Amino acid sequence: MSAKQIPAIEFRHVYKRYRLYRSDKHRFLGIFSKRIAFKEVFANRDLTFKVERGESVAIMGKNGAGKSTMLKMITGVAFPSSGKIDVNGRVSALLELTAGFDPEFTGRENVHLRGQLWGLDKAEIAVLERQVVEFADIGVYMDQPMRTYSSGMKARVGFAIASSINPDILVVDEALSVGDKAFRQKCDRRIKEIMAEEKVTVIFVTHSSGSAEAICNRGIVLEKGKLAFDGPIRAAIEFYEGPPDTPVVAG
Amino acid sequence: MAQARQAPLDLLLARVQRYGATFADIVREHAGYKTQILQLAVVDLLKTYRGSALGWLWAVIKPSVTISVYWFAFSVGLRAGKDVNGFPFFLWLLAGIVPWFYMQEMLTQGSTNFKRYNYLVTKIRFPLSTISTFVSLSKLYVHAALLMIVTVIFIMFGRPVDVYFLQLPLYTALMFLFFTMWSLFASLLSAMSKDFSNVVTSFVMAIFWISGIMWDVNRVNNPLLAKILLFNPVTFIANGYRNVFIYKRWFFQDPFALFAFAVVLVVMFGLSLYTFNRLRRDIADVL
Repeated sequence: MSAKQIPAIEFRHVYKRYRLYRSDKHRFLGIFSKRIAFKEVFANRDLTFKVERGESVAIMGKNGAGKSTMLKMITGVAFPSSGKIDVNGRVSALLELTAGFDPEFTGRENVHLRGQLWGLDKAEIAVLERQVVEFADIGVYMDQPMRTYSSGMKARVGFAIASSINPDILVVDEALSVGDKAFRQKCDRRIKEIMAEEKVTVIFVTHSSGSAEAICNRGIVLEKGKLAFDGPIRAAIEFYEGPPDTPVVAG
Repeated sequence: MAQARQAPLDLLLARVQRYGATFADIVREHAGYKTQILQLAVVDLLKTYRGSALGWLWAVIKPSVTISVYWFAFSVGLRAGKDVNGFPFFLWLLAGIVPWFYMQEMLTQGSTNFKRYNYLVTKIRFPLSTISTFVSLSKLYVHAALLMIVTVIFIMFGRPVDVYFLQLPLYTALMFLFFTMWSLFASLLSAMSKDFSNVVTSFVMAIFWISGIMWDVNRVNNPLLAKILLFNPVTFIANGYRNVFIYKRWFFQDPFALFAFAVVLVVMFGLSLYTFNRLRRDIADVL
């Protein structure tokens, strides 16, 4: 392995600032005038880290610590207010699985739509469709509009689509714990399969130290948007949860 | 002294560079997503007419009802429907109102693209500037179908296709260009504020009545007012379609109208570029 390889993800002094206006009206006026008052909230402050290819990193932090914002910036749907982010490789994000569909279209049509959005050709879309139908396993509902789906069914299709491409970077949110036990296990197996591929970088967001330790070898802890800890997974969990020998009531 | 003059020039140069880069981004996004844009235009059509038993027929039924109502109100009710340039009032109305249906769709639905397609903004990585383009294209398909029906109606009335039809693609292209830029501009703003989309929808009817679709702008007596009215792009387009179908005039025969539209087009281009540059990174945060 050469020492000078390109990192999969690199954050350099990344800040994400949200401007909170008093009302939508103020926000609208704020587009045109700098004199409209607003409060600034930083979801991420001065994040600097590198993730090398093939690493698996657990992201830990309380609600509101800035995990989701960070993930959004990695997947490229949100942009930093300042600083620089480099992401090298195809990202597949298993975030909010129930979102990102057009409710008017059927499951099958949404699969096609997603294939088209990714720029796949007809043959590739046919393969994608077969994989998704098989994995999601929702029977005749595949040809019903997605607005009629239960959240479990949406999540099944969502996971099937997102996990069907072989990504270079896999972003997994723990909110993944949807569906019944059998399906969850199926998802876990699939994630492990993807991870078994060489050089897949994994970003895993979780509250549970157990799964973090099982999957990741490095941990990053966020506190109020700042990088509070970055190091080996054991130490990260200790930092996040306190000393390990303090018994915590199992939940 | 020399320095003081230098600074604003540098500022201007930096600004030109920034907007140039934004424009280059838009062009690059369109070039890279050509196939997706074409496919999504079809998807948008499906989305619009999905979920109703009559489906596609609505694309024809709705305009037909509107035209019948206006024709009835004007010819029978107000008895105002006189022949224009030897063409029955009905045909005159048809020629001007057909582009209006496209423009109306773009003014209303076309101004809420980011909300309608918010999953493309917040859940998937997708080039934002192309969303308005494929929506506009989808409306253009419907427009093309209506245009064909109208042409057939003209032929049935014994008014065959002539050399003036050659300029029809020009007017259609200008309309498409203007309203695609409008749609990008308006969708950005209405994603930031509901007020904006409310303002737009409440003014659509007003725009319809002041734009000379139901009356002939060429007959306005006040010469100054006649000139001012030409700065309304809706008027320019509706009048252009009538140049083709009714007045049998070439687009270059009214240079002032062309000039006025060019001015408005450039302003729209500037506005959409400015708002896109300003807001493209914030849209995902507010939706």
